[in-house]
Amino acid sequence: MSPNAATQIPRAPELPRPGAGALRVLVWIVVLGIIYAYGWQVTQINLGELARKAYLVTPLLSDLVRPDLLERRPRQEIAEAGIGLDGAPAPPPETTRGPGRLTISTTSAKIGDPLRVTGEGFTPSRPLELIWRDQAGSTTTLHRTTTDATGRFTAALTVPNVIGTSNHVIARVTLEGTVLRPSNALNLTFFRMIETVFLALMGTTMAVVCAVPLSFLGAKNLMSRSPISLWVYYVVRTIFNIARSIEPLIMATVFAVWVGIGPFAGVLALGVHSIASLGKLYSEQIESIDPGPIEAITATGATMLQIVRYAVVPQIVPPFIAFTIYRWDINVRMSTVIGFVGGGGLGFLLLQYINLFQWKQAATAVWAITFVVAVMDYLSAVVREKVV
Amino acid sequence: MRGAAIRIEHLSKTYPDGTQALRDITFSVRPGEFVVIIGLSGSGKSTLMRCINRLIEPSAGKILLDDVEITTLSPERLRQMRRQIGMIFQQFNLVKRASVLTNVLSGRLGYVSPSWALTNYFPRDLREQALGHLRTVGIPEKAHTRADQLSGGQQQRVGIARALMQDPKLILADEPVASLDPATSHSVLRYVEDLNRRAGITVMCSLHFLSLARRYGTRLIALKGGQMVYDGVPTDIDQRRFKEIYGEEAIEVEIA
Repeated sequence: MSPNAATQIPRAPELPRPGAGALRVLVWIVVLGIIYAYGWQVTQINLGELARKAYLVTPLLSDLVRPDLLERRPRQEIAEAGIGLDGAPAPPPETTRGPGRLTISTTSAKIGDPLRVTGEGFTPSRPLELIWRDQAGSTTTLHRTTTDATGRFTAALTVPNVIGTSNHVIARVTLEGTVLRPSNALNLTFFRMIETVFLALMGTTMAVVCAVPLSFLGAKNLMSRSPISLWVYYVVRTIFNIARSIEPLIMATVFAVWVGIGPFAGVLALGVHSIASLGKLYSEQIESIDPGPIEAITATGATMLQIVRYAVVPQIVPPFIAFTIYRWDINVRMSTVIGFVGGGGLGFLLLQYINLFQWKQAATAVWAITFVVAVMDYLSAVVREKVV
Repeated sequence: MRGAAIRIEHLSKTYPDGTQALRDITFSVRPGEFVVIIGLSGSGKSTLMRCINRLIEPSAGKILLDDVEITTLSPERLRQMRRQIGMIFQQFNLVKRASVLTNVLSGRLGYVSPSWALTNYFPRDLREQALGHLRTVGIPEKAHTRADQLSGGQQQRVGIARALMQDPKLILADEPVASLDPATSHSVLRYVEDLNRRAGITVMCSLHFLSLARRYGTRLIALKGGQMVYDGVPTDIDQRRFKEIYGEEAIEVEIA
């Protein structure tokens, strides 16, 4: 506590001479002009190119605004029958759609053997394909015919030259009309999106578990009591700063090599990066807590644990929750990019579509990211409003 | 209830940076007195108050509360001693995000079982008692409001209710009205005065305005540069003494 100095009246600062100010402004304008002229040149800004070459990007952009969401597929009836080769047992049928049934003359055969395939119960007088599916799942159309007026057919096949013993014969009847179904891209995007959200959740959770204890070691007001603890503080802060400055993209590359390409690498990359970011935010929150309530609760004769519970926890928990949700939100956004370098999730799918120039499918993924990020942003704002 | 007696002998406090906040302070307070402490900012008022409940450790000297020497108490006995001393602060020091009721109940933490209190569970009779104290300070309807939604005067009344929850023998009030407007200042001080008169609780209260000191204090102690420069009846302070305490340039400001 210093003696009161309020009785001293501070002197007004001297005003600069008017001419000097104008000259200084002029010098600043010239300096800024040079900086921006150089910047323009070095970054090769070329606005003419932007207008002239717009035609190159138009098809791409027009695909991006028309994402692949739904598709019309012909309605089909499907029936399957299993056949074992070289004495192996026949596998059970896997997918059937519609009332039709398929029978093969034998359930066990060798490559090159003749087979008689009969079907019944299909829609009459419709085109029909007979497809062979081998053990690896690859399919070949062996025969095309038409169902008769009673919905039956008979066909003679030869067992094709395949590897593996467990095979299926599939009869696919194409019906009139079409059905509107979610496209393949939309289905894949949906499941990858779920993976992405959970990837971000697991990464964030991992970060929270590590960052909460570390943040206390990185709070100066707690750690400045002895030289040793101050030293710990500097070490923790340095680790935070280094870990934070390494891009998650680089971390994901390293972890993809370490644990293999996939979501786990992404979880680790986001987790390590978030430990540093959250740790720094948490520590700053701990540093800025109001010592008043701590003093007041101490004065009531409370124990150390009670002081923490009643004076410290209420001050740090709501902002911690807010920071964490915000971080999760950021991590969902980041995990899409992480997928580009093998971190799993939606980014991985997006990269595949881009590499195959499937812009409409890529657009599906891009819009899915936009949608989920917007929803997350809204939800985190609602939760933050509630808790803080 | 009977207020506590305080005896302070040769109390000194030197901070680690070398600042001498208190120099050889000696005085006694009888039970039930309303002691007003005045002095410039930095004269040692806050340090003196905080030495009495050992929020600040004294450097030298003795403090006796009802003849119990408190500067040498073990941590456990210190906690038991602190429960008897309510404290009110200039900045109220409420837990802003907690409800008013929780803030009041937190005054009882020194008495309840530590493990129970961690779940924020308080027995029904304590909750009733807390509501009763809120009625005493006139804001029972605010019990479930968040503390930071209250006005300054209301927050200070919660502070008083929290101190009451301790069943204190002594109330330390560190500039309790310095952040409040004149009208609210009087209403807050009247609650403190009431506790002093009716319940006989000893009060030590630092104030900035002599007019408030004269109105509420039964005794006045003045500090200057960490030393006691006056100890007497508030009404005895005249212009000469006032200038001694506050310096030659000071002019007394009245508060309505």
